[in-house]
Amino acid sequence: MPKDPVCGKDIDESGARASTGQTAHGAAEVDPNMGTRSFHNGQWYYFCSMDCRTKFLASPNTYTG
Amino acid sequence: MDFAYTPEQQTLREEVRQFIAEYVTPEILAEVEESGVRSRGPKTREMYQKVADRGWIGISWPKEYGGQGGSRIDQYIVEEEFGRVGVEVGGAGSGAPAILAAGTEEQKKYFLPGLIRGEISFALGFTEPQAGADLAGLQCRAVRDGDEFVINGQKMYTTRAHSGSHIYLMARTDPEAPRHKGISIFLVPMETPGITVRPLWTIQNDPPAPRRTTYGDRRTNEVFFEDVHIPASCMLGEENTGWYVGALGLNLDRVGASRYLLSVQRDEDIINWVKENDMGGYGPSQDPAVRDRLAELWIEAQVCRLMTMRSMSLVERGGTFTYEGSAEKVWAPEHGVKTTETIAQILGAYGQLLSSSEDNIEGGVFAHNLMGAFQSGINHGSAQVMRDQVARRGLGMPRG
Repeated sequence: MPKDPVCGKDIDESGARASTGQTAHGAAEVDPNMGTRSFHNGQWYYFCSMDCRTKFLASPNTYTG
Repeated sequence: MDFAYTPEQQTLREEVRQFIAEYVTPEILAEVEESGVRSRGPKTREMYQKVADRGWIGISWPKEYGGQGGSRIDQYIVEEEFGRVGVEVGGAGSGAPAILAAGTEEQKKYFLPGLIRGEISFALGFTEPQAGADLAGLQCRAVRDGDEFVINGQKMYTTRAHSGSHIYLMARTDPEAPRHKGISIFLVPMETPGITVRPLWTIQNDPPAPRRTTYGDRRTNEVFFEDVHIPASCMLGEENTGWYVGALGLNLDRVGASRYLLSVQRDEDIINWVKENDMGGYGPSQDPAVRDRLAELWIEAQVCRLMTMRSMSLVERGGTFTYEGSAEKVWAPEHGVKTTETIAQILGAYGQLLSSSEDNIEGGVFAHNLMGAFQSGINHGSAQVMRDQVARRGLGMPRG
């Protein structure tokens, strides 16, 4: 299972991407409780929380090694 | 210089008021309250159609695109009257000014009538987790692939993403160019495969902010773009000129009653409240300190109104319009914050009772405004960024 690159928690990537419904005009909605993500250098990174993502974005090289 | 409305404009205002008295029923207001200002329920959609049938949506837009060819003042009057009852009917702030200024003929013919019919509405896709006040640092990428662009990246605090039909997307199309010169704008249908919306609930959600709350949005969103393919024809303006198209659109979108009301409506509310209530014998309307503060707010509100009128006059005459909107965007929200502080002093703890409290004042709008007012100086261009634009474009100073 992939891990949050900041805190190391297990990430349910498919859960974070799973559609829980649609917006009024047909975009997929996801469960906000399943964490968030970020597109960095051509790759998606998944995080348990916005707090971890903020730390990642402040210093991505620290976490992508 | 004539500050008066023409007889035709006074008639228009009267007609709008009569319409509101007849058709904006308590049921519709309850529906707006229930669904939030920006998501229309069935009764509200029906009422909105009546507004459109009268030609009041996009009243200032050219006739060939479904408008009435009216003036910005006409549009202001319609927006102001509906805004005062907390019902949004579009016009300024809709994305239309940028489409009119930079769109292709095909885009104008598609989007403007759709906006009037209420079938099209835009979410503003500018801000990213690391690009808000420093918007030119945005990283969302749009890569050309033949007749298409492929988008990857994300947007943040995209308030209408869950209700809008399209996103007005700013993306980087040339990463090698200087930051401001490698950006383009795209008008992207939200139903395009690869777009995902993640709700972000605000402090206005629970308990729900009453209608007419300043920055009372209960929900905003993150939006992810994962290999989103769009036709190149979705681009608004020329490739890599998006920074300028976006700035023009934001400036023009700020001109009108929405921005003005956002910052001055609480003045009027608290003035009316003080006149109508004596708070158990306290009699705030007879208190010299209260009278002094409210008179000062009223005077400042007139400055807000005059700045709005000047901006509309400039746009109407086709004049250069750059720092004027920025100055207004500094003054009006800061006035709104000052109003909020004054209300807190007058109402004391009563002013903190939220919509869920049985003892709230005016449905809790003052308390929810207390939470939202400070946001108005940050959203859609922070006061600091606006002051910098005034320094550069108004005062002729170099970029810092």
